[in-house]
Amino acid sequence: MREQLEQLRNGALQAIVKASGVEQLQGIRVSLLGRKGELTALMKSLGSLSVEDRPIVGQLVNSVRDEIESALCAAINSAEENVISARLQSERVDTSLPGRYPLKGTKHPVSLIIEEICSIFAGLGFAVAEGPEIEHDWYNFEALNFPPEHPARDMQDTFFVENNLLLRTHTSPVQIRTMLKQKPPVRIIAPGTVYRCDSDATHSPMFHQIEGLMVDTKVTFSDLKGILTVFTNQLFGQKTGVRLRPSYFPFTEPSAEVDIACVICGGKGCRVCKNSGWLEILGAGMVDPEVYRHVQYDAENISGFAFGMGIERIAMLKYGISDMRLLFENDVRFLRQF
Amino acid sequence: MNVTYNWLKEFVDFEETPDELAALMTMLGLEVESMEKIGEGFDDVVVALVEEKQQHPNADKLSVCRVNNGKEVLEIVCGAQNFKQGDTVVLAQIGAVLPGDFKIKRSKIRGEESHGMLCSEKELGLAEDSIGIIVLQSGIAPLGTPVFNALGRKDTLFEIGLTPNRSDCLSALGIARDIAAKLGLKLKYPHTKIVEGPVMVESIISVTVNNTELCPRYAARYISGCTIAPSPDWLVKRLNAIGIRSINNVVDITNIIMMELGQPLHAFDCDRLSGKRIVVRTAEEGELFTTLDNQQRVLTSADLVICDAERPVALAGVMGGLNSEIEMLTTSILLESAFFNPAAIRKTSKRTGLHTESSHRFERGIDIDGVTRALDRAASLIVDLAGGVIAQGCIDVYSGMSERSAISFRPEKANELIGISLERNAIIAILISLECVVSPCADGSVSVIPPHYRIDIEREIDLIEEIARLNGYDNIPATMPVARVVSDRPTRHQEIEKQVRDLLVSSGMTEIINFSFTSPDASSKLLLHKDDTRCTAIKLANPLVDEQSVMRTTLLPGLLETTARNMNFRSIDLKLFEMRRIYLPGEGEEMPHEPLCIVGAVTGSRDGSGWSRPDETVDFYDAKGIVETVLNFLDIGGISWITETPESYFHPGKSCRIYAGREYIGSVGEIHPTVQKNFEIEKSVYCFELDFEKLVKLSRTKKTISAPSRFPDSTRDIAILIPEELAANKIVDCIRAEKIKEIEHVQIFDVYRGKGVPEGHKSIAVRIRYRSYERTLAEEEIISLHKKIISSLIGKLQVIIR
Repeated sequence: MREQLEQLRNGALQAIVKASGVEQLQGIRVSLLGRKGELTALMKSLGSLSVEDRPIVGQLVNSVRDEIESALCAAINSAEENVISARLQSERVDTSLPGRYPLKGTKHPVSLIIEEICSIFAGLGFAVAEGPEIEHDWYNFEALNFPPEHPARDMQDTFFVENNLLLRTHTSPVQIRTMLKQKPPVRIIAPGTVYRCDSDATHSPMFHQIEGLMVDTKVTFSDLKGILTVFTNQLFGQKTGVRLRPSYFPFTEPSAEVDIACVICGGKGCRVCKNSGWLEILGAGMVDPEVYRHVQYDAENISGFAFGMGIERIAMLKYGISDMRLLFENDVRFLRQF
Repeated sequence: MNVTYNWLKEFVDFEETPDELAALMTMLGLEVESMEKIGEGFDDVVVALVEEKQQHPNADKLSVCRVNNGKEVLEIVCGAQNFKQGDTVVLAQIGAVLPGDFKIKRSKIRGEESHGMLCSEKELGLAEDSIGIIVLQSGIAPLGTPVFNALGRKDTLFEIGLTPNRSDCLSALGIARDIAAKLGLKLKYPHTKIVEGPVMVESIISVTVNNTELCPRYAARYISGCTIAPSPDWLVKRLNAIGIRSINNVVDITNIIMMELGQPLHAFDCDRLSGKRIVVRTAEEGELFTTLDNQQRVLTSADLVICDAERPVALAGVMGGLNSEIEMLTTSILLESAFFNPAAIRKTSKRTGLHTESSHRFERGIDIDGVTRALDRAASLIVDLAGGVIAQGCIDVYSGMSERSAISFRPEKANELIGISLERNAIIAILISLECVVSPCADGSVSVIPPHYRIDIEREIDLIEEIARLNGYDNIPATMPVARVVSDRPTRHQEIEKQVRDLLVSSGMTEIINFSFTSPDASSKLLLHKDDTRCTAIKLANPLVDEQSVMRTTLLPGLLETTARNMNFRSIDLKLFEMRRIYLPGEGEEMPHEPLCIVGAVTGSRDGSGWSRPDETVDFYDAKGIVETVLNFLDIGGISWITETPESYFHPGKSCRIYAGREYIGSVGEIHPTVQKNFEIEKSVYCFELDFEKLVKLSRTKKTISAPSRFPDSTRDIAILIPEELAANKIVDCIRAEKIKEIEHVQIFDVYRGKGVPEGHKSIAVRIRYRSYERTLAEEEIISLHKKIISSLIGKLQVIIR
């Protein structure tokens, strides 16, 4: 038995040394140590030995098994390492070839600017309000203090529908709809599509505006200046100069045009700002008492401001687009840059 | 409104430079839209003296002169004949640049050196045409003075964009008045001295105003013995500078006084006025009248007309008549200065489409106090320039307009609303500078009567605006509001809109925005049946062009046009979407409906071709996949894909309508070849459209999340042979209908036609993944579940298992 074990041990160790690859080594393990393996069979036959011999031979069998087992482990490890290093030697990619990526989509610049402005005002506590684009004359003009036949109506070339309906010429009717629905305090912005029958390089018959409205008990014109300064600084950069100058809108008084220092030349004067150093980007003012009367607010005890701006103009300034028509031609070579 | 620097200076003694004045006016709300410096850059064109003039030795028509420019004597060769030795002339020195970018250089002309050029009016851009060089009055200015300074022609033209409320600034005087108020200077009214003849005006002409509501004031003067002639130089130049064409001395005077004082005037040829009468009345319905522009107008009873004894001679406040205009042989003039009702003038101007400088002012309101001032100034100027005698007396039909009512004004309210703290006295001083009459009241407020010409000031808030404006918007601090906290978040609709837009973009789609209006034939291009509600679009009453005359009822035409346009530019791999409103007539309701819709188009290669992937073309399932992405994201269940009634614009065999339960939510498919042709699209396009409003309604906001099972899975594949017309989805539905809770996932992973599959059939390969939440499934359990499914498929769908 002893000789038999010795033979088995020597044969096994030789086979391990000779074996090439993990699979052969695993085969050796099965043929010796598996359920039907030679060494397993020997261990099973221990029972036939005498009580005196059994512990001695048993010990011997165990030591042979351990020896084979550890030789196998070492051989398998080294075979696996060989496999890995062979892989690392042979496998190569050309990292200069372009990667595989999903086609990227883009939002329209008008959507991007609306989202950006809404998020700036969300931070200032302004909720988003909406209203119809096909609007009643009363909301678009009369309640905003544009009486019928008033010259101020000439400021906005209107597309008419019928039955006193028209395509809203500004987002300001949303002010009226909001104030009719809720009592102060009001703090909203209203992005939306507006229309004027005018079409050339700088005018599109359809464009977008964002309206803002804040009404509370003690809102001042200086607050309007403060809010718009914060807004323009966030939109165009911290040091953008802001200037308010007197203007006229029927639904605000005092009214202002809001200019920012030209973002192209930094205020030195260029073609874009017509050498003035300023760019007009907003109309604003304190809500006119006549508007409060139309929405049954008590003008004596509340005050507020409103402002409105053209999205396309801001998009053109922010992205350096010189022709407004590009925004509605929907050429993907243009849109995919955003 | 155009006005020049020198002109303004006639009314106010300001020190400001043109640039400073422009800034000042802009900050007063009189926005300077452009500035043109007249005579700038001509400082090298100077007054000079011809000391010697000799014949050019080599040219008959040229002379060689020695010209003194105050510093040196230069040799100049000149071709003009109209000057002599000792004349004062205009010298363009070397380095000067004349209009047309004409640079003056040292030159040799026929062998003689020339160190500059003697200039004509044309060469300086002072006249359209001129003969010979300019010969100036001798001693006009020291030699070497820039000629534009010497001529007093250096000026700056301001183009001012006036807001509609500031009708008081539609004149040089009005603008000067605002400048004077801002600077605290005195306004100098132009000086007028009227010399009247012995004949009484009433003995020559009579004026009757039949409608004093539409014509509260009508004043007139009569001037006889005038000579109509071209206007003098200064008048032509001033008119030209502000963009008005010169006609003759009398007409030019009415125009220049209108621009100076804001009062429109009209001059009639008095000899052509029948009966020597003026009657101001409303027109008769259908009355005919030919205006100065030689257009016959049909009048209505709302139009105010100026008539003589027989017929209309002017459309009041808008335009004069051809029958009484000033002509070269006119000698006697009736000069009209009136105040007409703004609304009436506006109506007539709008109806006739006649928008004149005169109607522009009347419809905005002029200064009723200034009517006779302008009349007198114009009359005396006519005598100066055209001769003649002014009849004694001025006709002035005027009941005297009621005094303006006082406005109760609280100075502290102004401070409070503007957010400043001006002294009470400073506030009152601003009002006084604006020519308001201010008197204190017992309760601490003040009573303010604004001047007539400020028709825009009616309420306390109007005065508050004036305080803010005159004190300067730059002097208002920027503060943050003290406001109550309000809590708000985007509505569900707004949130989902943003999420879906984000989702589509992350699916590789590019967002487009098309106009909301479209062509009336858009619906027929989509092959829509004429009874389809989408054929009933809201029409614009005044479209710019026919292609933009109806509001769109579907976003598809715009999407297809965009697709075609991009393909024309060789952008052929497209994934586009638009998420915008459509406009549907409100049935029985006043307001139309404006639901938000989504459309998308995919065409070309699937992921953009490249070295690493085969060039695969998109198909129906790419479009459907995007729809499914949206529906899955919004957790909308019970979706069915119905092929029975295809939309007209889709290929009937490659499209379906999408239902969520019974709700029609959209459709998807390949664009019908005819529609593709109608939109001139060269390649197949797969589109989808979704009703966003229904998606919002159906979307489940509360998602239920379950923990994954911790036990091992087991998958089984089945290959099933089914007839071509049976929808593959029925197999999945049939498996799901067994409601076996151990089935974790069912997926069709292959569809095969061809070798081994009989004609008219397809082989569908389905993979089922079994897994339990409670335990590891035993082999026998899985076999029995799988058998159950197979027998159900065979029993219910009569399929053949391969």
